[in-house]
Amino acid sequence: MKTNLLITALTSLAATALFAAEPTVGNAAPDFSLPDATGKTHSLADFRGKFVVLEWFNEGCPFVKKHYGSGNMQKLQQEYSGKDVVWLTINSSAPGEQGHLTPETAPKTISDLKMTSTKLLLDPDGKVGRLYGAKNTPHMFVINKEGKLIYQGAIDSKPTANASDIASSSNYVKVALDESMAGKPVSNASTKPYGCSVKYK
Amino acid sequence: MVSKRMITWRPLWSAFFAAAVLTAGLQSASGQTYEGRELVKASLVADVNAIVPGKPFTAGILLRMVPKWHTYWKFPGDAGLPTEIKWSLPPGWKVGEIQWPIPLHLSEPGDIQIYGYHDEVLLLQEITPPASLPESTAKLSAEASWLVCEKICIPGDSTLQLELPVAAQNAPANEELFARYRRSLPQNWPDSKVASASWRRSGSELQLSIESVALANYPYAEFFPLPHGKVVVGHPKTDRVGDGKVAFRVPIETDDPKLASLDGVVVFGQDDHSPDRNAWTLRREGVASISTAPPASTSSSLAKFLLFGFLGGFILNLMPCVLPVISLKIFGFVQQAGQSRRRILRSGLAFIAGIFAWFVGLALLLILLKSLGREITWAFQFTNPYFVLFMSAVVLVFALNLFGVFEVSLPQRASSGLLDLTAGEGDAGSFFQGVFATVLATPCTAPFLAPALGFAFTQSGWMILLMFLAIAAGMSSPYLLLSAQPAWLRLLPRPGPWMLRVKQLMGFLLLATLLFLLAVLGAQRGVEAIIWTSCFLLALSVACWMKGAFLIPTSSTRSYFVVLVLVVVLVLGSGFYFIGEKFRATKLTVGSSQRHDDWIPFTPERLQVELQQGRAVFIDFTAAWCLTCKFNEATVLESAAVRDAFKRRGVVKIKADWTNADPAITKILKQFGRPGVPMYVLYPAGRNAEPILFPELLTQGMILEKLETISPQVAAH
Repeated sequence: MKTNLLITALTSLAATALFAAEPTVGNAAPDFSLPDATGKTHSLADFRGKFVVLEWFNEGCPFVKKHYGSGNMQKLQQEYSGKDVVWLTINSSAPGEQGHLTPETAPKTISDLKMTSTKLLLDPDGKVGRLYGAKNTPHMFVINKEGKLIYQGAIDSKPTANASDIASSSNYVKVALDESMAGKPVSNASTKPYGCSVKYK
Repeated sequence: MVSKRMITWRPLWSAFFAAAVLTAGLQSASGQTYEGRELVKASLVADVNAIVPGKPFTAGILLRMVPKWHTYWKFPGDAGLPTEIKWSLPPGWKVGEIQWPIPLHLSEPGDIQIYGYHDEVLLLQEITPPASLPESTAKLSAEASWLVCEKICIPGDSTLQLELPVAAQNAPANEELFARYRRSLPQNWPDSKVASASWRRSGSELQLSIESVALANYPYAEFFPLPHGKVVVGHPKTDRVGDGKVAFRVPIETDDPKLASLDGVVVFGQDDHSPDRNAWTLRREGVASISTAPPASTSSSLAKFLLFGFLGGFILNLMPCVLPVISLKIFGFVQQAGQSRRRILRSGLAFIAGIFAWFVGLALLLILLKSLGREITWAFQFTNPYFVLFMSAVVLVFALNLFGVFEVSLPQRASSGLLDLTAGEGDAGSFFQGVFATVLATPCTAPFLAPALGFAFTQSGWMILLMFLAIAAGMSSPYLLLSAQPAWLRLLPRPGPWMLRVKQLMGFLLLATLLFLLAVLGAQRGVEAIIWTSCFLLALSVACWMKGAFLIPTSSTRSYFVVLVLVVVLVLGSGFYFIGEKFRATKLTVGSSQRHDDWIPFTPERLQVELQQGRAVFIDFTAAWCLTCKFNEATVLESAAVRDAFKRRGVVKIKADWTNADPAITKILKQFGRPGVPMYVLYPAGRNAEPILFPELLTQGMILEKLETISPQVAAH
């Protein structure tokens, strides 16, 4: 009984609220709603109970090309969609900027790149990108089933635009998902993202 | 959180254009074209016209970008990649690190901050040829790769050649170019008379304070970080402190509580883009680190902290909260004085085993909780009112036992537990006595204990265990000595009928402890909580009396059974009603119950506001169950001299009441590397002044002395 009480006390201690504008790892991922190419709106809250990956995307960026040209990103999307992970690719390029997608152009990008993410969401005013403090493409976020942010940062350990580096790098998103699914804490929960800047207005 | 400071980039490329025309001495050049434009022209140059064997020279990769496009510094900032250079040198040649000129701090929409170069940059490297060179010419080759961005980013690379004759003597080449870029390299950190730097860790922020009149005179100063390893930093901010001081704040985004300093360069000049900006290189190791952050786990610091743990454990015996139980143990020794040496040693060891059992158990629980990612603190169990309630019941029952209201006569020795004191024998009794003493000891933080635990809590599970073992060893050392050297026991009086009286007297000491526990409950849950707890304790007392009066070996089986049922019903019934119903309904009282005084209740926001106004702030981190805190408050903080000094100097007094384990307070305790209360912090007047941390046991002198050093002008208002 005593032990239970102690744990209760400790749990309340652990529930330390952090005051930060941008979401930090370990805290609740802020909810958002964005339309996909068909105009249908999706909310993060719709996917509560599932792991969610957020991927910031700009098809013109060489770092994004590194992972799409090699098929690395599509492979990851496919592998984790198979494990009931929701993969949201988010485009925050402003109109007139590199990689900007519209409901008209997005379907072609999806089919050209053979994207297999759950949804490609359009964020032309950069609202959600700024909400998450997304700095790069690709900038990756992983959210667990309880809606908590468990990873933010780079896609992998080699910050280059060279696809030949993929094989020898450690994929942080994969590691974070695998560890979390196995009930383990994420060993590298926050890394420095690399890539092009997100093309906000 | 991040204030947006947009830098409007004025194209300076025209200023550099003359240099770009320079072609003499360029051994090779190649470009990167994109949509018909040459974005980057790369070339390899040297500062000599020939290579002298064994004599170092400097080579440079010159990158010329088209207007508005930029390449990146060693640390690119939020986006981009540093330029990389891979040399292919013949065997025996050596190449030094890239020397990076001072970059520009550029901003992009979305608060993306980067460090890079516009128009042109020369990346310098020292090359040392071998002492003998048989060939008449030397061919050096380097592959440079970069990322060049304007609004979009394009990677580029180029293999560059440098061919120079080998000669006995050489002359400088490309003098103007090299001289210009050498001028724009960050310099070594100056003499401490010119500038002294110190780092301080404050939560998730690293603060760098630089005392330098030279630096403070420049209108522009910035810190460009060079985070090492996996460290992720946010955007550094510059604070002007005045009085020849400049401070920088760097948010640390990785979970790395031990990180205490960073590499980087301090850049200063007339404005953020003038070509005559200057910079000083700051290295992690070269900075005197003021450690409010726990130090690294070296073996020597490990030994030091284990010694602290041992000393702290020893001193725990003398702390006010543990004295009643310790007096009982001394009493036990009195009783044993006439007994055989072996018997004394056994009982002493059992007592020590009890001490160790509690500490090891506590350590394992903490390790378990830590591995589950929970916050861990010392004496955390006392922040739980149910634990305090449980302790109240145990202390009362113990006291009644000492008064002789009931005797413990259970057949099995082991189950007699901590009440088996009267029998004068029973190792189990001694064992539980040891546990009991230690449980009562935890609300006290003895001197030495806080730094030791603060250190251990940031370390691995093994370290936590080791630290608790050191504390247990310290606490049990006097008993081990007394048990091993029973000769010293002869100094104690002989046993006799007086012992009954002393035992009863000890009972009153326990009642005093009970009063303290009830006061804690009152602070946690209000007066009602004390009332309902007392009701339950009364019922418990009656149950104890019934046990003493009727549950005795001489009573008949039937009456024994009836009374037993009555006792169980009384204890459970009152427990369910007074505790399960009434006590549970009492509300958590937030903040300090001592509102009559001039202390402001702590909130992080309030502290922020006071500090931002540049006022001196003293914070008393306390808890109702912390006797050390109460002692310090009564003898030091509320003394006339200290109160008066606080008032005269205009110090804002804040009380952080941790009785109910307020998480905002836990966070601050963690920031100072402290496992629990008490903690006393004085922030001197003036923004960004270093806070002063006091020891756990205060003296008036300590406070008054430190108050002398804080800025007196604040006292004016």
